[in-house]
Amino acid sequence: MRLEREVTCAELVELVTAYLEDALAPEDRERVEEHLVFCDGCSNYLEQMRATIAATGRLRAEDIPRELQERLLAAFREWTPA
Amino acid sequence: MIAYKFLDEGGVSPFAGFRWPVGEWVEAAGAERCRLGIHACRRDDLPFWLGRELWEIELEDEVVAHRRKVVAQRGRLVRRVEAWNQALLEEFGRSVLGRTRGRFGSVPLVSGYIADIERFLALGRVPIAAFAAARAAELSGGAAAYDRERLRQAGWLADRLGLGST
Repeated sequence: MRLEREVTCAELVELVTAYLEDALAPEDRERVEEHLVFCDGCSNYLEQMRATIAATGRLRAEDIPRELQERLLAAFREWTPA
Repeated sequence: MIAYKFLDEGGVSPFAGFRWPVGEWVEAAGAERCRLGIHACRRDDLPFWLGRELWEIELEDEVVAHRRKVVAQRGRLVRRVEAWNQALLEEFGRSVLGRTRGRFGSVPLVSGYIADIERFLALGRVPIAAFAAARAAELSGGAAAYDRERLRQAGWLADRLGLGST
């Protein structure tokens, strides 16, 4: 994906995972950071994503209750792209 | 080369989270935009990176110029630009609003941005107010007008902060 000019909030939501994984092209990373300077909503969203990753990153498979694990797996199996 | 760097409170880099020492050289493994290196801005880049603290930074070794920043391998904070504070940030916001109102206050459609800028300023969101002013200019005069408005903002900041032409 190559962004022409400033990133919109909708674009940033799509890019946030790549941003956190350092997988964006340098010019796109620069545009994301420019957007973060003035967009409090997207800055909050990024912090929430960071916090979620930090929290879930500590989970082990055995920490998830069996019933929840089965419900999640069923949901993933039924998932189809929009 | 002397450039500028906006940091969060306590001299912390807003994206990398690095706490900058004052006066000590910080060295990066290279100077690759947004990945490696010491990032800083030139005078004309200032409005894009507004932050809590503004510092003068000395850059050494290879300094690579990019669209809205420069990246170097070595840098050290030289001094904090004390003139940059909450009061000046708010004054900057008012200057942006005043210019936009003066230029586009009676222009259909574009004048709608003025209410946006006023609302952002009331919420203390000066960076997005400055962005909205540039967007208003763009709507009126195309992409080049966006850049010109950003240059006007940079000129205002440099003038009020007593910065050179870097």
